[in-house]
Amino acid sequence: MADSAGAPRPSSSVKLVLLGEAAVGKSSLVLRFVNNDFQENKEPTIGAAFLTQKCNLPERTIKFEIWDTAGQERFASLAPMYYRNAQAALVVYDLTKPTSLIKAKHWVAELQRQATPGIVIALVGNKLDLTNDSAGSSGEGEGGGDDANDARKVPTEEAQTYAEQEDLLFFETSAKTGYNVTEVFTAIANAIPETSLKTARGPSGASGVNRSEEQRVNLNGPRDPNAKEGCAC
Amino acid sequence: MYNLSSFVQKAQQLLDPTQGLNLSDPDKNPSKASLFQSQFRLPSSQHPLYEITAELTIPPANATQGGKDRDTGFRYAGKLHISEAYLCFSTTGSSFVQSASTSTSSVFTGQTHGAGPGGNGFTFPLCAIRRVERLHSQNFQFALAITTWNGISQDAAKDKDKDKKDAREQRITLQLAGTRQACERFCDGLKKGLRAGVGNVGRLKKAVAECYSEYLLRPEDQKNANPPDVGLGMMFRYPGDVKKLRDRAKMRLWAEYLRDNGRNTTLLRQPTFHKLIRVGLPNRLRGEMWELTSGSIYLRLENPSLYTDTLAKFSGQESLAIDEIEKDLNRSLPEYPGFQSEEGIGRLRRVLTAYSWVDTDVGYCQAMNIVVAALLIYMSESQAFFLLSALCDRLVPGYYSTTMYGTLLDQKVFESLVERTMPILWEHLVKSDVQLSVVSLPWFLSLYINSMPLVFAFRVLDVFFVEGPKVLFQVGLAILRINGEELLDAADDGAFISVLKSYFARLDESAHPKSENPKLRAVTRFQELMVVAFKEFSGITHGSITELRLQNKNSVLNNIENFAKRTAIRNLGPDSKLLNADELGALYDRFYTVLYERQQRDLILKQEQARRVKSSRPRLGAMANSHDEAVEKGRVGLGPSTSLMDYDAFREFLAGMAKWAISDTPATPRRETFPEADRGFYGSVNKKSDVMLSPWGAGPEPADHEFLRRLFVKWDAGANAALTLQNVVTGLARIKGKRDILGIITYFFELHDDDGDGKVDREGILRMSEALLFLSRRGLEGTLSPSNSTLTLSTGGGSQGDVSGQSINERFLGSVSAFIRRCFEYADPDHPNNHFASPQQKQPLVEMDDDQLADPDAFSIGDDDDDEDDLLEMESPAASPKTGPRSHALDKQASSIRLDSMSTAPSNAPSNNRRVSKAQSERANIALDPSNPLHITLPTFRMVVLADELLEQFFESSFPASFHIIEGLQSSATASSSLTTFSNLGLGAGRAVGAAFGGAPGAQAPAGGRGLRGVLDNIVTDGMRVAQEVVRRMEEAQKELERNAVPGQRNDEEDDEEDDDPAPAGKSVAYRGDAERRSVRSSDRDLLAGVDAEASDVTVSAAGTRRASVGQGSNGDNQQGPAGGAGSKVVGVEFDG
Ligand SMILES: Nc1nc2c(ncn2[C@@H]2O[C@H](COP(=O)(O)OP(=O)(O)OP(=O)(O)O)[C@@H](O)[C@H]2O)c(=O)[nH]1
Ligand SMILES: [Mg+2]
Repeated sequence: MADSAGAPRPSSSVKLVLLGEAAVGKSSLVLRFVNNDFQENKEPTIGAAFLTQKCNLPERTIKFEIWDTAGQERFASLAPMYYRNAQAALVVYDLTKPTSLIKAKHWVAELQRQATPGIVIALVGNKLDLTNDSAGSSGEGEGGGDDANDARKVPTEEAQTYAEQEDLLFFETSAKTGYNVTEVFTAIANAIPETSLKTARGPSGASGVNRSEEQRVNLNGPRDPNAKEGCAC
Repeated sequence: MYNLSSFVQKAQQLLDPTQGLNLSDPDKNPSKASLFQSQFRLPSSQHPLYEITAELTIPPANATQGGKDRDTGFRYAGKLHISEAYLCFSTTGSSFVQSASTSTSSVFTGQTHGAGPGGNGFTFPLCAIRRVERLHSQNFQFALAITTWNGISQDAAKDKDKDKKDAREQRITLQLAGTRQACERFCDGLKKGLRAGVGNVGRLKKAVAECYSEYLLRPEDQKNANPPDVGLGMMFRYPGDVKKLRDRAKMRLWAEYLRDNGRNTTLLRQPTFHKLIRVGLPNRLRGEMWELTSGSIYLRLENPSLYTDTLAKFSGQESLAIDEIEKDLNRSLPEYPGFQSEEGIGRLRRVLTAYSWVDTDVGYCQAMNIVVAALLIYMSESQAFFLLSALCDRLVPGYYSTTMYGTLLDQKVFESLVERTMPILWEHLVKSDVQLSVVSLPWFLSLYINSMPLVFAFRVLDVFFVEGPKVLFQVGLAILRINGEELLDAADDGAFISVLKSYFARLDESAHPKSENPKLRAVTRFQELMVVAFKEFSGITHGSITELRLQNKNSVLNNIENFAKRTAIRNLGPDSKLLNADELGALYDRFYTVLYERQQRDLILKQEQARRVKSSRPRLGAMANSHDEAVEKGRVGLGPSTSLMDYDAFREFLAGMAKWAISDTPATPRRETFPEADRGFYGSVNKKSDVMLSPWGAGPEPADHEFLRRLFVKWDAGANAALTLQNVVTGLARIKGKRDILGIITYFFELHDDDGDGKVDREGILRMSEALLFLSRRGLEGTLSPSNSTLTLSTGGGSQGDVSGQSINERFLGSVSAFIRRCFEYADPDHPNNHFASPQQKQPLVEMDDDQLADPDAFSIGDDDDDEDDLLEMESPAASPKTGPRSHALDKQASSIRLDSMSTAPSNAPSNNRRVSKAQSERANIALDPSNPLHITLPTFRMVVLADELLEQFFESSFPASFHIIEGLQSSATASSSLTTFSNLGLGAGRAVGAAFGGAPGAQAPAGGRGLRGVLDNIVTDGMRVAQEVVRRMEEAQKELERNAVPGQRNDEEDDEEDDDPAPAGKSVAYRGDAERRSVRSSDRDLLAGVDAEASDVTVSAAGTRRASVGQGSNGDNQQGPAGGAGSKVVGVEFDG
């Protein structure tokens, strides 16, 4: 089952799901990644939204099938429907809201127990622009909030330590400024093991299907003229 | 394995949850009342009181116009109903007889299949009826002429003079068909209702004043007044192109219809009404028609000021829902200008907030913001508020609940409908691993408002409010069928979604752009969608949806519950780590099963009471079905229910896993309430409902002992008089989780240290020993060392009759009595200046050597002065583990020796023993003197416990092991049966205990109050007799226990008169009783199995019914052409607007 044999770079699709408390900026991260755009009044996600975006790695092309889920607590019971078969997950919290990290930890635990074994999980602290060590300056702040006008409530170390414990990728981002957003997706793309790519979509991931997938991506295109550029890597 | 859902299912089958999702078992008929309420969209306060066949005559269209062709008017045959406050008529021969099921009723109710005001007729509030005249008809039948308050909101004074010729006077006649008696009875009922309704005319007037029709139909010269608030559309324009929508033409048609047929509450439904709705409502009437067809207007009529009252009442208060609402206000239909303004946002905020207060179970769910925003374009805040309530309660129940079970359930239903009607597409979806609900869930959840362009979504809503939730399914199926070919090409979720996205974007285009026929070309894709939905999928009825919901309900709820369980367990605090996953899972199940079962029992008891009350005074009219109130509750999957365990539930919870928590002396509410039930075979109840009717269900009656109360209070960390799952887990984790004897000893001590000052007083000591006896009265569990005791017994020349099991219990009694004695011996006098001396008093025990033990007089209370270091060491809890083992090691030896001497005493050396005990008792008597208050501290307690091997083992193993979290008591019954032989202890133990106090074996104290409490109280006044009394009471309790375990074997009269049974008899009874107890249990299980059997019969026949009707349904669909033939496009022009 060779993936599009003649193509310069093998391309495979990766199902990625976004989880996290309501209004932490899941949809905004996706919008930034897919459309390089940001909206101040983003509609809440009902159920889930679906978008795709390619990410070109030196060795291969990854097409992300992104499932952006609703964050309100009561939608949690729908989540298994969306993270089913996901190979990657972005668990997002809001750097300015400690409770959102707790929720994020719950999601990590849920995924580790219930999702595809070997799922690549990235923990993402969003809204870095609201803190002092915002976009541009180093993401690895030394001590977290030093200043009075710093809205940061979750110190980098706290989340980082947790991420290391649980073997997660870890980033602090801003969907608003775009800081670190593509990096998250690139890191995930790199972290997906080659083996899991082959079996990505089960038996139906045959070549014929791949061809039509390619077309669909273009169908999706009109929404998103920049999509073909893929991520910055 | 212990499985919550199977229990839940069992409990559910004993119920008839007809309300809520309307998920009644089709064989257990949905109540007449709920059918009636559904059909006429009436509030749950309404019940069908009288009904009669009748013929409705609507006079020629407009009396003043005096049309030529329409002289005869319109006649409809149907059924007339009276409820508490409504007079309803429908041509759809109503089937509100007791035997009506959902499916049979749908046969009669036409278009809406029993779920809406289908057919022709009316729904008049009785207060809207102005006059009823009895007409004299030739054929001696009853004929009534009814004049309504049509147009009541107009200025009454002006109307008076031109009353007669006023165009708006609405008069219909009803010819009753029935026996004279039936007619008379009906008329009496009507009269009564009318009289009661008179007072509501004012309310009616106020309510209808908010309807646009009142303004619309006003004569031109009176149109000076402002029109009522009919939504943001008045200010910000209505969505869509007025011309394209042909809004004016529609308005004219409606004006004519309303003029002829009455407006709002006095509207008559004729065929044109339904047609007018199908072509789309005009903007200004849309809100009013939505509230009329959904029935929310009747809710508003019932309580016109509820909306403003609610806002006023909760003004300024905060809630989680409000926070969530606030987050979404700016993100609701942001493309509509009204929601870019403070006006629109303010309205949205108020409606959502008010609703979150009145329906706290729902609160706020994302998607409600979108739905309410849509409603607010067409209606006032108050109208939207009531319509939201009708949505959540009746139209899409469970969609927005905290578990969203309604949403998930309808997705399952939708999937199975797709599978049935479009098998090829379904197969494709399965093969390409596309999850349909991922696409369709938002359709249902936001009622298509977010999926289609607004103008089209509103057209769907127009029909949805009349015809009910089946419309959502029909439209969804039609979307898939129309796009079938393209969808068959789509190979993944992404492709699937993009096909549908582009379809929705082009709904206004021609469905047949290349057709020669200009008429065909003019048909838009949306019109095509409506035709396919309602023609091709006409087989989708309310009945079939109800049945599919019923079929899928359990699996959906189970999924939700599994998820909830997983989440709940994961989110338990760090304490939960002390228990393993199985234990946590079992605890979760036990916790919610108890709560659920208690709730169901409560419900059944209430219904039973209601039934009895009713049957005691049978009234023909009051047919209100008791099932109406049977709102299913308590199941985790259904959303918020109790998650708090009160004390009684806690008792029941414990009795399910610890045998000491089962009552010895069942108080007999079961017998009192249901005398016939308990006398059957083995005294078991053999009717399933009776099992549920017992206050404790099928389980044993839990004990009610002070220890349980203390445990409850201790676990109730928040002092809420109720436990959360977290409380229970934390509580148990501390007992069972650590396997740390010192921790458990401390726990036990703290349990009895009421004021938390680290001291337990005389009373407390007695309570502790009482608790020890309570906990051990059914035998000890866990790892004990019987061999050791046998050894010492035999070296002491003990009796040969002792079997290890008995000797342990015997020894434990001895241990407890030694415990009491030692506690008093080493207690500290309760004087302020002695406080600091207290720790030192323990020292002797630690340093005690064998000689001292042999002669207890060798040391005395407080005679030793120790250095500060020791004091600190003893007091500091951190140091105690170090101290513990040391003293423990010493005492182990000591206690075994002492035990030895005690145990041998009864058989061998009473005199010797008495000599030793005498000295002890003297000392004890000093301690027992109530005028010398005293207390023990934790270190003392710890040492006293550790001084006794059995007590030590009790805390180390027995007590933690007595909680059978995972396996429960049923499976441990075999293990425990060999231990439950207290009566076997006979005199031996009695003497042992008695000897400990140096008492005479024969001494008898007068029987105190019931229970050990009274007995132990005596210790204060007479230490000598207590122990014997304790034993005697223990034996009695044991006998009683055994008697109660075999109610079928013995006559109930014997219950309380057996106190004087000689021990040997008691012994033999005990053996028999033990065996019988087991057999009662298994017969209980048989009963349960019987229930199962019955329930499964029901299920089987229900399934049969379902198959039959589904068969019909799919036949109907097949006639439309090959299922899944996605290309087939049906064209119709009936619905062009
Ligand atoms: N300052 C700042 N605001 C952000 C950032 N990302 C998102 N937001 C804002 O946070 C709010 C919520 O963003 P969403 O992307 O809708 O959040 P979500 O997690 O998708 O929310 P749900 O769909 O309800 O679960 C919006 O008002 C965004 O504008 C960020 O990086 N910085
Ligand atoms: Mg979102």
